[in-house]
Amino acid sequence: MPSGLADLLHDAAVLHRFVDFIEEYCKEQERSQTYVDASGLFFQYVEKLAAGIKQELGREIERAQRFPSRLPILRSNIWTLKNYLRLLHALIKPAADAHTLTIPAPLIELAAHQLQQVERMKNSCVVILLTSEFMYFQRPHTDIKDQARIVETFIPKASFPPKLGFIELPYSQGPSFFTNLAIYHEIGHFVYEELSNSDPPHRHIAALKSAIVRSLNKAFRKRSLDPETFAVAAKILGNWIQEIFCDLFAIRLVGPAFSFAFVEMLGMLGFLSEKATVIFNPTHPATACRFAEHVRMLQNDSWWNAIANIDAGQKKLLERLSNLPQSGYKFYWDESTPGPQSLVQVFLDVVVPAIRKLVRQVTPENVTAVRRFEKARGSIEDCLRVGVVPHPTSSSPLDPVSIINSAFCFYLTALPEVVKRFEGADAENDVAVHSLWTKRLEMWTMKAIEDSQIQDRFRGVRGTALWSSLEKKS
Amino acid sequence: MTPMDLQDRAQYLSLALFSQKVVSALMEYVDENKSARLKPSLAEALDSLLHAKRPSVSSQRKVVAFTSYEHLRTLEEVWSATDRGKAIRMMRVVLRAPKNPKTKAVANELIQLFAQLQNQALWNFEQPKPMSPRVMQRLCHPA
Repeated sequence: MPSGLADLLHDAAVLHRFVDFIEEYCKEQERSQTYVDASGLFFQYVEKLAAGIKQELGREIERAQRFPSRLPILRSNIWTLKNYLRLLHALIKPAADAHTLTIPAPLIELAAHQLQQVERMKNSCVVILLTSEFMYFQRPHTDIKDQARIVETFIPKASFPPKLGFIELPYSQGPSFFTNLAIYHEIGHFVYEELSNSDPPHRHIAALKSAIVRSLNKAFRKRSLDPETFAVAAKILGNWIQEIFCDLFAIRLVGPAFSFAFVEMLGMLGFLSEKATVIFNPTHPATACRFAEHVRMLQNDSWWNAIANIDAGQKKLLERLSNLPQSGYKFYWDESTPGPQSLVQVFLDVVVPAIRKLVRQVTPENVTAVRRFEKARGSIEDCLRVGVVPHPTSSSPLDPVSIINSAFCFYLTALPEVVKRFEGADAENDVAVHSLWTKRLEMWTMKAIEDSQIQDRFRGVRGTALWSSLEKKS
Repeated sequence: MTPMDLQDRAQYLSLALFSQKVVSALMEYVDENKSARLKPSLAEALDSLLHAKRPSVSSQRKVVAFTSYEHLRTLEEVWSATDRGKAIRMMRVVLRAPKNPKTKAVANELIQLFAQLQNQALWNFEQPKPMSPRVMQRLCHPA
């Protein structure tokens, strides 16, 4: 045996065992749980990859025997593949945990349905991951996809499913509804990455990239940046762009309920302290800047007028922070190190207008959604007030976006009234009772959305040949 | 590992995989006389390396490697400016005359260069370093 072959064989055997386990694990999950379709596609990819890697390992050993001088390189190749599997490994268990009993399935189905109406996103799907992080997060699928494309040159039978995204929900929030509206922001990251990588590039994405170059030239005009520094500055602007894009994208799809959910989430994470709200950091723009964009978009889309009479702390906070002067925004690398302030200014002046245009271009118009909300809100709130799942007053199903916004407004303004009505005045300040009734409200909202989806499906089938034949039989 | 750590590390792994792709195509060519994957892999690498010389954000097409800080830093750690120039010249030689018997010796040298890059990228994936103070300083304090 050539020197070094034993080490290579050992490494290959360890990797073989690792992929063998992963392959069996995915198969077992598919047999024992029910998942949304996208998870199944992901598991099938992992299974094919595992089978392909096992075959490739055999070929690597054969190569090492024929060309012993290549042993160190072949060992590095095995190490690289193992690390790719490490990244996938971090996704597999959270994906397995997110079966339909642990996630807000009607909301996920609704978001997936709305995603199909976004420009260039037809036939896309999202894998839900339940994570131990107390933070919503969209896995950067661009890296995984780029890596998968290269791995495919070594393992040709394992193609990564096209237009597949990953979204993480904190496992503790799986069954809740209102805070899970944050998934719309995470879906925004998926959309942005898909648009950025599409071929040919989306016209407005190309415009945005030109805006980045213009911004950097303007911010650092006195000197030319070296490639590394330029890459860092462009990355920071890219991070800020995505956050604003995703917020506005979410608002376009789900209305002010997203802004309210966002305020709730930031509050839960402790990010709403007075000082923190004006700070830009390398990964996120200042909360005040984000809120200013929220309010601007809601005003332009007529949502702001439609919720004019909502007297809730969340809305007041949005309004107050959005009115803070831009001159007060600061950029810090970390808690104490100031960053280049000029980057913030060019971002606001040059880049943000391009983001607004992009969002409007790729998302469907929502004027009718606002009108439907205004029309249905009263009857939805009436149902919730008496503890009934909201239902339509005509033959048309309720619009899910109207249900979500009406229920959120109701939750923010009328929950104490419901508690008092059903539990009596003694329960007015009882935390456990408030928590229980929030949960109930969320369940009624979710059921109303599910009913609306079923009715919609029924309307789609009625009148078809299949419907007529079923009618005859009955 | 927080999600952000994972994201930063993933860039290093992308570079390791990219290098592996180039090395594998070159090894197939040198050892087994197969050249099906040679041209696309080398052309991609050459394009990326030429792009790395000048800082920009490409709005028209996607450059596969050497656009992120992690890629550029790893490149800087492993290849000197002379190495880069040499790699560019060698890639052009292999692309221009793959059938010339002398080209295999050049390809062999390229294998060593890209193998070094792959190993450094793997090392950085395991042990990511904080951003270089030089870069932070250049951004914060205009010359």
